[in-house]
Amino acid sequence: MAPDPAMPAQIVCTGLGKTFGGGTEAVQALDLTLAAGQTTALVGPSGCGKSTLLRMIAGLEEPSFGTVTIGGAPPSETLRHAGLSVAFQDPSLLPWRSVRGNIELALRLARRPVDVAAVEALIALVGLDGFGDTKPAELSGGMRQRAAIARALATKPGLLLLDEPFGAVDELTRQQLAQDLPRIWEAQRTTTVLVTHSVSEAVLLSDRVIVLSPRPAQIVADIDIPLPRPRSPDMVRSDAGAGHIDAVFAALSESRAGSPPPMAAQ
Amino acid sequence: MTVTTAPARPAILQKPVSFAPWISTAILLALWELAGRQLSGTFVLASPSEVLRYLAEEWRMMARALAVTLGNAALGFVFGNLAAIALATLASVWPRTERVVAGLALLVFCLPLVATGPILRVLFGPGDGPQIVLAALAVYYTTLIPLLVGLRAAPATWFDLVRSYGRGRVSALVHVRAMAALPYLFTGLQIAAPAAFLGAMVGEFTGAERGMGVLTVRAIRALDVEMTWALATVATGVAILAYAVIGALARRVLKAPPPVILAAPAPAGARSSALQTGAIVTVLALLAWWGAIRVFDLNPFFAKGPGDVFAALILADDAAETRATLAGALGETLVFLLPGYIAGLLAGAGLAMLLVLMPILAGTAMPLAIALRSVPIVTTAPLVVLLLGRGATGTIVLVAVMVFFPTFVACLHGLRQAPGQIMDVLDSYAAGPVTRLIRVRIPAMLPAFFAAARMAVPASVLAVTVVEWLATGAGVGSLMALSASLSDYDMLWSAVVLVSALSALGYAAVGAVERRILTLYAPEQVA
Repeated sequence: MAPDPAMPAQIVCTGLGKTFGGGTEAVQALDLTLAAGQTTALVGPSGCGKSTLLRMIAGLEEPSFGTVTIGGAPPSETLRHAGLSVAFQDPSLLPWRSVRGNIELALRLARRPVDVAAVEALIALVGLDGFGDTKPAELSGGMRQRAAIARALATKPGLLLLDEPFGAVDELTRQQLAQDLPRIWEAQRTTTVLVTHSVSEAVLLSDRVIVLSPRPAQIVADIDIPLPRPRSPDMVRSDAGAGHIDAVFAALSESRAGSPPPMAAQ
Repeated sequence: MTVTTAPARPAILQKPVSFAPWISTAILLALWELAGRQLSGTFVLASPSEVLRYLAEEWRMMARALAVTLGNAALGFVFGNLAAIALATLASVWPRTERVVAGLALLVFCLPLVATGPILRVLFGPGDGPQIVLAALAVYYTTLIPLLVGLRAAPATWFDLVRSYGRGRVSALVHVRAMAALPYLFTGLQIAAPAAFLGAMVGEFTGAERGMGVLTVRAIRALDVEMTWALATVATGVAILAYAVIGALARRVLKAPPPVILAAPAPAGARSSALQTGAIVTVLALLAWWGAIRVFDLNPFFAKGPGDVFAALILADDAAETRATLAGALGETLVFLLPGYIAGLLAGAGLAMLLVLMPILAGTAMPLAIALRSVPIVTTAPLVVLLLGRGATGTIVLVAVMVFFPTFVACLHGLRQAPGQIMDVLDSYAAGPVTRLIRVRIPAMLPAFFAAARMAVPASVLAVTVVEWLATGAGVGSLMALSASLSDYDMLWSAVVLVSALSALGYAAVGAVERRILTLYAPEQVA
């Protein structure tokens, strides 16, 4: 019996490491368990290997050491059932397909039936009402990111991987997306891993923030964010939220102080 | 001379907005007419009015010949492009084969068409087979190269996206690569359309009953100046028209002009793996050659295998004599080939640089040059021979012209790729146009220049062998013509093998120089 790809799954990384061809160590001996249905943010300095970690969880990158399991099985098994979605730093929409076409392509690639009404509801959910037939080139950067998030949600994956999905948009759009996302989140709860540079974004969106060291990535701090949901940016700015933000910042600076400067780490 | 028949809408980089091409066409036509009247009676030049009168009188014959050649060219176009699409698809689904596929394709592209013609003629017997095969051979490479580039022309995350839904290379091909490659396919088809016509004509040069090429050979033999010029005018017109039609189709389908692809990207990878690929390609080519003769059970009198050629060149009693004949002919050919090749490269790069210093001219020249690049120069070979005689000058000029156009277009394109930010930095130091040219534009041009220089090797070999075959009676082209008519198939096959191998080696040698220089000036192109 195949596992239900829509079921939120627990992720276990054991002794996970990645060394690239040139001898660069991106991730070193990492042990991490992510509970089913939780949202976890991975934060750390640029180039610290968080994207590599995400790609190993997604099964897009083979680990050099150790293992990843999703719901007890290797990622390749989850891929086979199209049980996960990735939203990349670049929206990666196919330029010759409309917003709707891009979302439908995800469903077809995942061998899921295309439910027209569900696709429309999804387009509405990310605030792209009326833009279903628009090609990506005619959308703003923020709208493209929303379309990419809608596509990632379309297959109702048990595991959602977001690799700096707001990396390429300007600050205002970023804040808007961060405001909208919690609302979208409540609608579809899955196990979610979010890679981000923004500490406030991490605190706003996650149940748990993992702070990583500069390359090779190791866990420096593991901070729970027990703020109630639904959340809002105001809540993050409140005393309770600010406390969490301070904790993450402290861990980040500590991680940097205790290791070689970022230039040398590149 | 081919300029005269260029229509005013060759632009693929920009929509036509000016009347400049019309005006320059009119001026050139007038000059041509004037020159024709001055030189009447010298058996050199027919004026446009004489060409028109000839066409009006002989249009039935011309139309019949054109229909035959067009039909063969169209079939060759279809088969050649299908082969290119199949090969490129194979290379993209099974990436390990890409280098070998590209290497084999290059080797076949280096086959001297003029010698392949007679061999195909004896294989097929009378009929249209050789013309169609030659047309296909003339087009598949020009389609394959942009297609190989196009099938990779998608960001890595698009492929990650396909993989993240658990799908593999076939889905990536269908959903991502095929669409991403479409503009590149059109670029290839656009160059292939005139090339197919050229291939069909070369096939007819080497022995056919009907068609434009047959008429051309007849016109040259009879020293019929009007007929020669009329045929070249029609061939040039058809080539430009074919190019324009595909361009228009591309703009309709893509809603954007097709990208300018000049040649395969520089052969990447370590030297050892290049040698390894070369060895694999050689072995596979020899096996295919040997296997084809076995499988089709070809008559050993004219179908010579690798062993026969080896025997003729090394083992036979007269091997030393054969080698001396071939070496002599190759030497004669090189005397024409090298000056023409170098002159074409220098003229192309030089004119491109000159035009960059005069931007107003460049806007008009670029679209015109891109269209003229498509003209099968070889179809004008008879004219060059008429104009400049059967001696060295005519041949060298023809080779130079063949090399000039692609080099010019590539260099102009490359010069315009100069990074804007660096140009701004130089501006901020008030650097003059010459400084900018030397410091920024020329380094930016080098990759395009070398890409053109590589592709020009087989093209110049084709040009020189065609002229030798048709007119000059010297060099390896003539030797191949002579061997074919004397049924000396050992010599013919040996010549084919040597010419292909030398073309491929020349291509590789330019590639080696390219790697050395790009490592200094444009390391990102080599990595």
